[in-house]
Amino acid sequence: MLRPEQMRRLLIATPKGEIETIISELYRHNVYHIEDFVPESESAEALSIGHPLPGASDAASALIKVRAIENACGIDPDNVEIRTKLPASKVRAMIETDLPSIQKEVEDLVATRSKLEARQKEHEQRARELEPFAAVPLDLELYRGYTRFTVFTGHIMHDVSIDVPHEKYFSDKVDGNMIVVVVANEHREEVERTLLDAGFQVIPIPEETGAPADRLAAHIDETRQANTEIAAVNEKIAGVRERHTDLLVACDELLTADVERAEAPLRFATTEETFITEGWVPGDQAERIRDALERVTGGRVYIEELEIEDDSRVPVEYENPSFASPTQVLMDIYARPRYSELDPTLMVAVVFPIFFGLILGDVGYGAILLALSLGLRKFLKGDEGRMLLKVLSYASISSIIFGILYSEFFGAALPWPALFFSRHLNIGVAAGGHGPQVAELMVLAIWIGILHITLGRILGMVNARKFHHGKHAAKAAIANAGWLGTMWGIIIMIWAFYAIPLMPDLTGLPVVVMGFNVAAVAGAVLLVAGIIGIAQENPLELVELPSIISHVLSYARLVAVGLSSVAIAMVVNFIAIGMMIQPQLEAITPVGVIIIIFGILVLLLGHLLNTALGLLGGGLHSIRLHYVEFFTKFYKGGGKKYNPFGMKSKFMEE
Amino acid sequence: MVDVGMTLEMVQASQLGMKALGAGLAVGLTGIGAGVAEMAIGSAAVGATAENRDVFGLVLLLTVIPETIVIFGLVVALLLLF
Repeated sequence: MLRPEQMRRLLIATPKGEIETIISELYRHNVYHIEDFVPESESAEALSIGHPLPGASDAASALIKVRAIENACGIDPDNVEIRTKLPASKVRAMIETDLPSIQKEVEDLVATRSKLEARQKEHEQRARELEPFAAVPLDLELYRGYTRFTVFTGHIMHDVSIDVPHEKYFSDKVDGNMIVVVVANEHREEVERTLLDAGFQVIPIPEETGAPADRLAAHIDETRQANTEIAAVNEKIAGVRERHTDLLVACDELLTADVERAEAPLRFATTEETFITEGWVPGDQAERIRDALERVTGGRVYIEELEIEDDSRVPVEYENPSFASPTQVLMDIYARPRYSELDPTLMVAVVFPIFFGLILGDVGYGAILLALSLGLRKFLKGDEGRMLLKVLSYASISSIIFGILYSEFFGAALPWPALFFSRHLNIGVAAGGHGPQVAELMVLAIWIGILHITLGRILGMVNARKFHHGKHAAKAAIANAGWLGTMWGIIIMIWAFYAIPLMPDLTGLPVVVMGFNVAAVAGAVLLVAGIIGIAQENPLELVELPSIISHVLSYARLVAVGLSSVAIAMVVNFIAIGMMIQPQLEAITPVGVIIIIFGILVLLLGHLLNTALGLLGGGLHSIRLHYVEFFTKFYKGGGKKYNPFGMKSKFMEE
Repeated sequence: MVDVGMTLEMVQASQLGMKALGAGLAVGLTGIGAGVAEMAIGSAAVGATAENRDVFGLVLLLTVIPETIVIFGLVVALLLLF
């Protein structure tokens, strides 16, 4: 909580003979994050990178074959439902026995399919060429083989009259019209000019015989037949997928593991007789790994725990309570925390849904989004997608709760008045109660902003000690305090001059100097002290001072975006119900029924649009307030992902 | 510029109208401003995402940053109206 998981840095050295035992033991435990060995080229007797284990290339080429089959069948291991788990030994045997036949079957099917596709394309092409000729009642052999005549065939804009002796067929039944003209060779140029003037475009004469219409029909028939055969082949491929998916994904998994294990020495350092690897394990696992390695090698292993020198090299694994862990996906979008800094996931997990609810506080929309997030869980198989859906479901529950507080249901009021602040606008006839409390809500949003930013700055002071050492740590912490002082100085001065609802009223305090009261003077002192605090770290930072105001005011979006969503919902209700459905219900006529149906359509479409807008607005603005206004105060990020050497078996059992 | 024929109600009504106009201008103009600002960021963001899908989250965020402008416009409009 609030800290990434504790990591310990281990150095493992063993004789080369033990390399396979060590690798498979580490792989089985799936906790050891290997730090890749980078050789230093300067010294001659330096350590060198290890060589892959024997069998690496065999496993890799087998894996390529399996992936090719999966590709041909359209299997994506990430999206495969786990039906049965096959034992690893059986899978290994089946790679030898069953896989080659499956491969042959799939290859044959794919080859047949591509042959059929080529045939289908060819006939389609021929049919396209023949189409214009089908409009002319001439057999195809009549177009060719003359020595004294020239044949013109092609598209033309309109029919033309030709002055010389000729034979002509014109049809406007086909796209772009069709003209066929036969003239004696001596008139060729003259006729060509006449034709070109009318926009003539030559079409080559197909190399076929017989009536064009018959040939066309034959080609279309062939195309259709090829299509049926392709469909049949596709069905067979689908059959292969149906029968062998379990085996294929298991093979994929097994071979991937084989390849990873075999190539692991490429990440180790070796000498003549030994190899050395450095890596990270979570704090509570270190002893277990040490014992396990000593047991499998019979003590022929040297393990030493090293000091952590540079926190940017430590892989980072989140450690959060289970309800907060889906929020890690939102953290990863920004940046994973560094090892030594505070992990704000827990705070985001609590505050994000509250912001979302404040913006989209509506029982109806909340219920739709909740149903959506629960329903989509079946279709989304990736881990990240599922985590996002979980975040969405928490957010929509918060939206329902705030909807009850705001008394909103698709923009309309629930049977009780708003328990919290009212957001009911005076749109249409829906107005009731005391109207929207925009000013109060706005002040509430500003309060949230002030507190959120204050929290951010306090965390910044805590983090300052982690990022910097010695004198600079103190300076950075004071700078953060300076920002905090400047902000509160401005706020107290505003309170001293203006009375704002829901905020302390300091206007009545006794005046001390030049018409300034106690609070104003205190605020000014705080402000100046704050500015000095900021400047002592870096005077250039002072240009950022206006951001204090803009960041606090930015929280007004919690109300503004929410109100705009309420306004859209109320307008949709008013147009659909108030203007279309209700007037017709008083006296039902046939036309009225159509208008009512149209009104229902408007209602559905409008609320659908508003749900999408609410999801986007509520989600993006809430997370933006975290990323831009909150994180910039304390959070650096940029930690490496903890990626242990090993694999969680999905499709196999040991 | 005082029109003799104006009653108090008419003056109040026209003031209300001016407020509504001001609110509309505040949202509309800031909307245009936010749109212009997001235009360049958005096209760069799409380009960056096409190069490397990992930056999607970050560029989505960068794209919505100018939205603050229109939010301020909306806040001003709401304060004018209520």
